[in-house]
Amino acid sequence: MGKEELEKKLRPPLLELKDYPAKYITVASGDKMVVRQCTHKDVSVLLGAIIPLIGATKDFYDIVAARMYAEILGWYRYRVANEYVLAGTIDGEIVGIVNGRLVDKDIGMSYHTLAVRRGLRIGAHLFAAKMEYHLEYLKQSEVWIVAESPIGFRRWMIEYSLENRGDKFPKVYHELGGVPTYALTKKLYDKVKDQKVTGTRPVDSKLLSTADTLKLPEEYVQIPGFRRSKK
Amino acid sequence: MRTVQIVGIGHTMFGNLSEYDLVDIMSFASLNALEDAGILDKRDLVEQVIVGNMGAGMLSHQSGIASSLVSRIKMEPAMAELVENGPASGASAVKMGYAVIAGGLADVVLVTGGELMRDVTGWEATDFVASLLHPEAEYRYGLSLPAFGGMFTRMYMERYGLTEKELAMVAVKDHENGNKNPFAHVKLSCTMEAINEGPHASVVNPFIAEPLRLYGMCPVSDGAASLILCAADSSKMKYFKKEPVTIAGIGSATDTHCVHNRKDPLILDAVRISAERSYKMAGLKPDDISFAELHDAFIILELAISEEVGFFKRGKAREAVVKGITNINGSLPINPSGGLKSKGHPLGATGVSQIFELVKQLRGEAEKGRQVKNPKTGMAVNFGGFGNNVVTTICTKE
Amino acid sequence: MFDPDIYKLYEEKEEQVFAFRCPSCKKVHYPAPMICDKCNTRRDPSNVYFSEWEKIPLQGECTLLSWTKVYALPEGYEVPYLLFGIVEFQNKIRASGRLSIERPETGMKLNARVDVVKKRGDKEIHGLIFS
Repeated sequence: MGKEELEKKLRPPLLELKDYPAKYITVASGDKMVVRQCTHKDVSVLLGAIIPLIGATKDFYDIVAARMYAEILGWYRYRVANEYVLAGTIDGEIVGIVNGRLVDKDIGMSYHTLAVRRGLRIGAHLFAAKMEYHLEYLKQSEVWIVAESPIGFRRWMIEYSLENRGDKFPKVYHELGGVPTYALTKKLYDKVKDQKVTGTRPVDSKLLSTADTLKLPEEYVQIPGFRRSKK
Repeated sequence: MRTVQIVGIGHTMFGNLSEYDLVDIMSFASLNALEDAGILDKRDLVEQVIVGNMGAGMLSHQSGIASSLVSRIKMEPAMAELVENGPASGASAVKMGYAVIAGGLADVVLVTGGELMRDVTGWEATDFVASLLHPEAEYRYGLSLPAFGGMFTRMYMERYGLTEKELAMVAVKDHENGNKNPFAHVKLSCTMEAINEGPHASVVNPFIAEPLRLYGMCPVSDGAASLILCAADSSKMKYFKKEPVTIAGIGSATDTHCVHNRKDPLILDAVRISAERSYKMAGLKPDDISFAELHDAFIILELAISEEVGFFKRGKAREAVVKGITNINGSLPINPSGGLKSKGHPLGATGVSQIFELVKQLRGEAEKGRQVKNPKTGMAVNFGGFGNNVVTTICTKE
Repeated sequence: MFDPDIYKLYEEKEEQVFAFRCPSCKKVHYPAPMICDKCNTRRDPSNVYFSEWEKIPLQGECTLLSWTKVYALPEGYEVPYLLFGIVEFQNKIRASGRLSIERPETGMKLNARVDVVKKRGDKEIHGLIFS
C-alpha cells in the first residue's frame, strides 16, 4: 500500500459541517469580542496561544491546555472526525478558544473551553457559543458534556441544569477520559438560552476583518510575569 | 482621651492569592506598613498587634493567627489579639487598636486585617459568609448576603424609583477608580453600553440576586492591609518620618440580627448611629467630609450608606450619582479606591484597607487620576453582617 | 418544678416554625430572644422548666414585603437558583423564608407552610415556604 493510500485509511470519514456564522459580543470592558469559526490556517496561532498554558498548574489550565493542544493537532492532521474550533478575539488577539465534535448527525461531543483572558466571562460566552453551534446551526438534538475543573462542573452542570446520564454508564460515556457524561438537550438549552447566549450578527466587515489573522495573546494572567518577547 | 494617629500604611494585592498562606499575606501587608512608617528595623517599638479576620478558623483551619503573625514577622514579645466582627472585622481591629492606645496600654500598635477566601470554591465562600446570618430564621433557608442585598435593592427601587441604569452608573464609576488602583482585584473599566444599555448587557451582566446583577456586587477576594497607630503625645512619635493622619472619630453600632425585625428594613440604624458617634467624637458634620470610602459589597449599599451618614437625603443619592457629585472630580468623591466592587472584599482586610485609602488620599499619595483634590477629611464605613454591626471612622490631616 | 407534660417532648410532631409570646407583656417575637425587649422577662429555651412562653405556629396568610431570585447560592444547594422572600403575617410578625412561586410581586398575598428547605445527609431541615 502506498503512502497516500495508507494516509487515506488513517483519516476518519467526515460529516459535512455547516459553518458557524461569526458574531460579536460587547464584553464588560466595552471591547467587542468577535467569535468565529477557525480553519486550518489558524492552527499555528491557536497552538502558539495554548502552549504556554500547558505549564499553568492553577485552576486546571494545564490539563485543559494540554488536551486542547492535542485535539487541535488531531483536527489539523485529520485524526479526529467532525471536529470544529471556535475562537474569541478582541482586536484580533485570541482571548479564548472552544472546541468539540459531532459523534453523528444528532449527538455532539463538547471538548474544551479555554479562557485565556480572565474577568470578562469569556469562557461562559464561548461555551454558550459552542452550544449554540451544536443545537441551533448544526441542528443536533443534544451535546454531551463533562468538566475537568470544579468551577466548570458547577458552571455547566448546574447553571444549564444538564441531564445526568451517569445511570447509562459504562455504555454511555464521554470521550474525554471515558467518564460518565452529562447532556444538554435542545429543550434544556431553549430554557436558558436567553440568559446564556448573546451576540450580534452579521459582524460588519471592518470588525470582522480584525479577526482575519489571529494574534497571539500578549499576556497571560495565569502565568505571572509572562511577556511575549518583542521581536 | 489620647489622640491617636496613623503613621504607617501597608497593603497587598487584592485578588486570588490562594497559593499563599493567610499569615504570610498578613505578614506582607504588616511589613509594608512598618517599612512605610520607617521602623522596619525598629519593630520593637510596636507594643501591640491587633489582627482583624473572620474566617481563619473556618476557611484556613487556623487559629491563634495574631500570635502566629507576630512570630512570622519576628516581633515577639509584642502583645497580640484577634478581633472578629464579620465583614467589619478590619475596622473593629482599628477601633480596638485605638482603644488600647487611648487607654494607655500601649503607644504604638500594628493593626492588620487579612482574609484568604479563594482557597475554597465560591459556593463555600458564600456559605462561609452566610454563617453570620441568624442560624434558625435566616441561614437554614439558604439565604446569603447576596440574597439580602437583592431584597434590599428591590425595596429601595420600589420606594425611591431607583433604576438599574443608575445602579450601573455607580459600578462604572467605581471601576473607573479601581482601574487606576494598583491593588485592585478587578482592574478594568466597564462601560454603560456593555453592562446596561447595549443589546448584550443582560447576558454580559447577568442577574446574581435579582434585581442585583454581576456588576452590582463585589468579587470574593484574598488580601491584607495594615496600619501603624501611635499616640500623638508619645515620645516614640519622633521615629516616624511621614506626616501623621489623625483618627478624629471612630464609632460603631449594632442592629437586629434578623433583617426582617427592623421596623423599616431600608433604614440602616447601625450605619447612622455609628456615623453619629464618630461625627460627635470628631466634632464634625457631614458637610465637613471631603471624600468617603463606603462599604459597597452590593452597589446599592454605596447609595444607602451615603444617605444614612447624612451626605444626601433619603432616596436622593441616585441624583448625586447622575450629577457626578460622587465621581473622583465631583464635590464629594465616593470610593476613590474603586470600593469593594472593583478593589475587592477580603472580609477582614476591607475595613483596614478603607482606612489605608483615607491615609493615602490625605497624604496626597493616590495614583494619578484617582487622587481627590486637596482633601482634608475622609470617612470610612465598614459594614458588618447585613448592617447589624457597622464601624465608621473619620480621619483628618491635622 | 417537674413539668408533668415533659413526656410530650418525645412525640413525633409535625414540623412547625414558631414565634414566641412573652408571658408578661404578650409581645410576640420571631425568632425568640432570651429576654423580652419590652418588659425584660426571661425565657428558657429548653422549655422544660418554664413553658410559659407560648409557642405560636407561623403559618397561613401573609404579605410579601420583598423578594429575590438568587443564582449564586451557598454550598449545599445544587440547583440553578432559589427564590427568597420576607413576609409579614396578619399579626404583624415578619419572617424570611423560601418562595415557591415563579413570578412573585411585592405586596402580593401568600400562604406560609412548613416543609423541607434543606437536606444534610439523611437529615431533613424544615422551614417556612411561601406560596
